Amino acid sequence: MRKISFLLAVTLLSFVLICGYALAAGPYYEGKTVRIIVGYSPGGGYDSYARAIARHMGKHIPGNPSFIVENMPGAGSLISANHLYKVAKPDGLTVGHFNGGLFFAQVMGQQGIVFDARKFEYIGTVVTGGCVALLTKASGITSVDKWLSADRPMKMGGVVTGAYAPDNVTKILKSTLGLPIHLVSGYKGIAPVRLAAESGELQGTFGAWYGVRVSWRNVIESGEVNVVLQAVEKPFSDIPDVPLAINLVKTDEARQMIEAGVHKPALFAWPFVLPPGTPKELVMTMRNALEETIKDREFLAEAEKAKMGLDPIDGETLEKIVHGIFKTDPALLDKLKEIVLQ
Amino acid sequence: MIETVNAFASGFSQIFTATTFGLMLLGIVIGFFVGLLPGLGGPTTIALMLPFVVKMEAVEAFAFLLGMAAVCGTTGDITSVLFGVPGEPTTAATILDGHPMAKKGEAGRAMGAALVSSLMGAIFGAFALALAIPIVRPLVLTFGSPEFFMLAVLGLSFIAALSGEALLKGLIAAGIGLFLATIGLDPISGIPRYTFGQLFLWDGIGLVPITIGFFAIPEIIELAVQGSSIAEKQAGGKVAGVMRGVRDSFRNWGLVLRCSAIGTYTAIIPGIGGATTQWLAYAHAMQSARNKEGFGKGRVEGVLGPGAANNSTIGGSLITTVAFGIPTSVLMAILLGAFIIQGLVPGPEMLLPEPKGHLALTFSFVWTIVVSNIITVAVCLLFLNQLAKITYVRGSILIPLILMLIYLGAFAEKNAFQDLVLVLIFGVLGWVMARLSWPRPPLILGLVLGPLAENRLFLSMELYGLAWVLRPGVLLLIALTLAGLFYPVLSARRRRAGAKERGRTSTKGAINSPGKNALRFSWSAVFGLVIIGTFILALVQSTTFSFRAGLFPWTIGSLILALALVQFIKDLFVGVKAQNSERQWMEAATELPGPVVRRRTAEVFGWIIGCFLAIWFFGFSIGVPLFTFVKLKIHAREKLPLALALTAFSWALVYGLFDFVLKVPFPTGQLFRWL
Repeated sequence: MRKISFLLAVTLLSFVLICGYALAAGPYYEGKTVRIIVGYSPGGGYDSYARAIARHMGKHIPGNPSFIVENMPGAGSLISANHLYKVAKPDGLTVGHFNGGLFFAQVMGQQGIVFDARKFEYIGTVVTGGCVALLTKASGITSVDKWLSADRPMKMGGVVTGAYAPDNVTKILKSTLGLPIHLVSGYKGIAPVRLAAESGELQGTFGAWYGVRVSWRNVIESGEVNVVLQAVEKPFSDIPDVPLAINLVKTDEARQMIEAGVHKPALFAWPFVLPPGTPKELVMTMRNALEETIKDREFLAEAEKAKMGLDPIDGETLEKIVHGIFKTDPALLDKLKEIVLQ
Repeated sequence: MIETVNAFASGFSQIFTATTFGLMLLGIVIGFFVGLLPGLGGPTTIALMLPFVVKMEAVEAFAFLLGMAAVCGTTGDITSVLFGVPGEPTTAATILDGHPMAKKGEAGRAMGAALVSSLMGAIFGAFALALAIPIVRPLVLTFGSPEFFMLAVLGLSFIAALSGEALLKGLIAAGIGLFLATIGLDPISGIPRYTFGQLFLWDGIGLVPITIGFFAIPEIIELAVQGSSIAEKQAGGKVAGVMRGVRDSFRNWGLVLRCSAIGTYTAIIPGIGGATTQWLAYAHAMQSARNKEGFGKGRVEGVLGPGAANNSTIGGSLITTVAFGIPTSVLMAILLGAFIIQGLVPGPEMLLPEPKGHLALTFSFVWTIVVSNIITVAVCLLFLNQLAKITYVRGSILIPLILMLIYLGAFAEKNAFQDLVLVLIFGVLGWVMARLSWPRPPLILGLVLGPLAENRLFLSMELYGLAWVLRPGVLLLIALTLAGLFYPVLSARRRRAGAKERGRTSTKGAINSPGKNALRFSWSAVFGLVIIGTFILALVQSTTFSFRAGLFPWTIGSLILALALVQFIKDLFVGVKAQNSERQWMEAATELPGPVVRRRTAEVFGWIIGCFLAIWFFGFSIGVPLFTFVKLKIHAREKLPLALALTAFSWALVYGLFDFVLKVPFPTGQLFRWL
């Protein structure tokens, strides 16, 4: 009996000591503030995801740091990406959320890029940028077969040369699949493209499914717009019957070009990253926290209400995918460059 | 039909539930200060409020957000009138006549006019929104890229009215604006134009730092040169008070309504927001005035026009945002974010009565705009006469505070330090243009309409080839533009003919009197030479762009170069006249001797740059209070308690509000980077 109480006392004492020690040292993040730097203005997609994550991530990190979101808009989020690479301290307190299409742009040799995507630390991503082809009822195209045999090219909206969606996706699929397309680029985003499609000026566009299934829902449900093709590896779960672009390829080269230029960049379109040289244990903490956050019931309820799509990829996998595009066959890259930058 | 009426009534009753009304009041209070402070734009603040919106019901959320947004433009006019610094980017045009009125001792009248016209504009816009609901979708869908392009051209034709007497100068100024709009990535091929390797220029130069520099810096220079208060002297007798401005608004009700209509209907177009409509309204006020004398020197019509338009714009922008989910301005983009947080998808269902849609909610927007503006204006009217007294405060006390507002306002739009440099550059340009009597509004109009014009022209060509010119909408807009351009010319000719018949000799003969022209040095000619030199360099640079990226800068650039050459030759050979008019301008502004003016000008330039350097070296939170103290105590020799109190005030604002509470990411001072 005495032995037991002795053991109990020792256990208790050591427990108290360990706890006390742990408390005295305190977790790294205790009392600290993590800043998520968003590369776009308030109110857009990147900003909404960052703010939703910021509201819930703190409680999944030991020490419960507070989170704030800062907007550093400019140059298609390149300013913030360069900032994260050059200026931000690798102390785990600054997180970047910018357009992952810039990683592909680095491979394509876009000017103004200072960072090396291979040196960022990847926390993960909560949604992907995979695209679908949207064509209006007025275009008369209801299926990809009809499209392939159309007698005139479809006028499809783009934003600017080098943008992943719609421009790169449109150009690569047009070139590899021989789809009759006349890309009209220069619209100020997907919303003006939709207005132009509704007014009959355009016949369609390629748009990221997780975005357009919300903002184009009315026209898709009413049948004003048809989803005829999806440009992803595996079909989206809510449109399983829409054919995959990759299944239409005739040559192996075309397949490789779609994989490198369309499928992979979609996966890292919305990354959360840390500056190069951030200590491994902090990277791991953040990765865990993001994984926990996207399982958080309150976060899920909020995402549900705001109809935010969730299609997460963990940090380790994301890192492999990004590093992968730098290992693409140079001859293939040259061909892609020719198509994308024309 | 009955459902629509029900929804209209239900929208009204919905905003008067306790929580909703309370949140709307809270929104109004926040929006009130946001409008007053140049550094706090409506969009930025609304973005900061989004997290709280998540937990609200839809009606509550929009009562809160729209209540805030609706009053920003109203109180922003107050800052524009009092200090010549735009309180909001959408209230810059109010400065043109509002601030000169303040200088004449009519601050109360100007503010009264601005507020009541704002109220009338807001109500007009809100009901335009309500009435447009059944027809808005088919209406907007008849517009394609060619029509958008022609609307930009129609807007640009307002330059003629904005230029007043100096049409050639106005055209050149507008051309400079159009040209400045080409800075940044070319909208289609993404090639950088005139970015000098600076990423922050990729998106073009921001409107906020430009308007602040362009209008506020010349005012602060003049304030310092005068060495007095903003309003010159206590006008003997009764100060023109707020009620007079209120009466002005009602007396000019036609103008106010027309400008409200301009604000509402142009704001329906994506890409045009309050930053543009205010200038169109100002141009209209000028164009429609029978006697054009005195604009820019304190005409109440110049306050009423933009005052009405920048508020009626919200209703117009909301039409497009609600009916299509297409944000027409930054503010609307953020409101759209709020829609999405609320799980609402803007589109046709917003316009259908319950249970199929959310029409009552849409109508609650209308009522929120109306009610929040009524409350704000009523509250403001109570103490505006008190507020107007600030124009009698010594300039030396105001200068550091206005400089703080200028730099804060420039920084906070994009959180970019480089924008402070833009303020300085455009401050100098604005000052030179004011001194040499160049009209400044055309430059801003060119700048805001340039991107829309270029972008939509290329899209039209790409979509339709040249056939777009023959679309009925385009033809109609061409006719409207031509009518707008030629009507004033024709009516002026008729009037002149009438005057001649009465046998009166016009002043025109005196101006044209030959004989005194000689090749002579004038600052106008020097400025002309600078413009010519800059454009030659810019054109040389444009040869390195690809055809598509270079076409617009090249066309505009060569046109401006030609016009600038004509102006230069005019300035060169009419040296005597130019010199006379320069001297007159100076005499009109001040009775001080030349050397004093020059010394004070140099001094105030030193302080403006000094404040910039203090911010650069110490960061905002230390630099601004330090500058305030040095300027007040050492330069202006104010009493220590006063200097300390104002320093503490500036610190509380910069550090307490912006840094600590709002977490504005100020850059670290250079000193602390070295340490």
